[in-house]
Amino acid sequence: MLQALPAAPQEQPDLYQVDLERFQGPLDLLLHLIRNQDVDIFDIPIARITQQFLAAIERVDRLELERAGEFLEMAAILVRIKAQMLFPRRTEDGEEEDPRAELVRRLLEYEHFREAAGHLEAAERERARRWTRGWVEVRPAPPLADAPLETGWDEVWDAVLRLAARDAEPPPGYRFGGRPVRMDEKMELVLAALQESRRVEFAALVSPWGTRMHAVVSLLACLELAKRSQVRVRQAAPFAPLWVYRRRAEEG
Amino acid sequence: MRPSRVVEAVLFASQTPLSAAELARAGEDLDEDAVEAAVAELRAEYEREGRAFGVFEVAGGWQILTRPEFAPVLERFDSVPANPRLSAPALETLAIVAYRQPVGRAEIEEIRGVGSGGVLKTLQERELVEVVGRGEGLGRPLLYGTTRRFLEHFGFRSTEDLPRPEELPVVLSRRNEDGRQDGAQAG
Repeated sequence: MLQALPAAPQEQPDLYQVDLERFQGPLDLLLHLIRNQDVDIFDIPIARITQQFLAAIERVDRLELERAGEFLEMAAILVRIKAQMLFPRRTEDGEEEDPRAELVRRLLEYEHFREAAGHLEAAERERARRWTRGWVEVRPAPPLADAPLETGWDEVWDAVLRLAARDAEPPPGYRFGGRPVRMDEKMELVLAALQESRRVEFAALVSPWGTRMHAVVSLLACLELAKRSQVRVRQAAPFAPLWVYRRRAEEG
Repeated sequence: MRPSRVVEAVLFASQTPLSAAELARAGEDLDEDAVEAAVAELRAEYEREGRAFGVFEVAGGWQILTRPEFAPVLERFDSVPANPRLSAPALETLAIVAYRQPVGRAEIEEIRGVGSGGVLKTLQERELVEVVGRGEGLGRPLLYGTTRRFLEHFGFRSTEDLPRPEELPVVLSRRNEDGRQDGAQAG
C-alpha cells in the first residue's frame, strides 16, 4: 500500500506548484506559500519555504527584467536568512536574534495593507451598485488631432469606388521580382511632370505603374523634393487628394 | 421656492457630490444649516415614497444615487456604463496611500516589494491620488495623498470611513510609526 504512493510525504512540498504570473511580487508569492500551507508566520520553516520560493521563480527569466530583479532580491534575502539560522547571533544583552524577524515584519505589513485593499474593493463594489444620473466615465481625451472629424457616406462611398477602380495587385505569391524603384528617377519624373503643368495630382504620378512600391517611392520623392524646396505638397483635408505644386524660382 | 426643492434641483442636476457650502450658494436665503435640514427632508421624503434613488453622503457632501437594490436592473442597460473597477495592484497601492498619506513612492515600494511608479501614475491620471507635498531627505521625494475623487469612487464620506488600522484582521505591531521615516528616505 505504502509503495503505491508517488512520493514520500516529506518531499511533497517540493512539488508545490504555483503560477508565478498570478503574483504581484515576491511578498505576494511568499505570503501565498506561507498562508496556503498553514505555516506559522512567526515560525517560518525557512529551508522549506526558500526551496519552494526558488522552485517557483525558476521561470522568472521569462518575465521582464524589473520583475525578475524583485523576485531575485527576495530569493537572496531568504538564502541569507537560511544561512543565518545555522549560525545564530547574539545581541549585546545575550538575547538570541531571530534572523527572520525583519522578514516577518514586512510580510505582516504587506498582509495588513492587502486586507485594507480588500476593504477598498468591497467598498468599490458597493459603490458600483449605485448610479448617478447620466453617469459618464471620466477618461483622458484621446489625441485625435489629425484624424478627420466628420465624414459622410458619400465620401466613404467615393473612397470605396476609388479602391475598386484601382487595379488589384497580383497576390504576393505570383509576383516576380521587378526592377527596384529608384527614388532619384521618381524625383526627375515629378519635376518633369511639373514642367508641363503648374501642379499635378499625386494619384496621376502613380497611376501609370499602380503598384504599392511605386506609390511609396513617389511619395518619398515628393517629400524629398519638398524638403529641398523644389516643390510644394498640399492636401486640403486628411484623405483628400494630394497635389504637388511647382515652386516658382522667386520663392527661393 | 421651498429650500428642499432648491437643494433637490441642484443635487439632481449635479454629477458630483456637493457640500453644504456649495449647495447653500443655490439660494439667497440658504445657509448650511438650512441645506442640512433640506437634505434631511428630501431623504425622509424619498424614503417614505419608496423612490429608486436617495440622497447619499459622499466625499463630504451629498449626491443623488440610485439605491443598490436596483443594480441588477441598471446592469442590464448598456447605455448605463458601469464604474470601471481598479486592479489588484492599484487597490493595494491606494490602500497604502490612504493609510500612510502623505507617503512617498519609496515607502510604497518597500511595503509592496515591487516597483510602483506605473501604478501611481495610473492612479494620478484617474485623479484618485495626487501629489500633496515633498518629503525630507535625498531628492525631496514627492509625497502622495488621496483625493476627493478617491472618496467618490469608493462612496466614502471621508477618510474616516476607511476601516481603522486596528480593525483589520492583520494588526501591525510596533514599528508602525516608523513608516513615515522610511518614506522620507531616498526617492
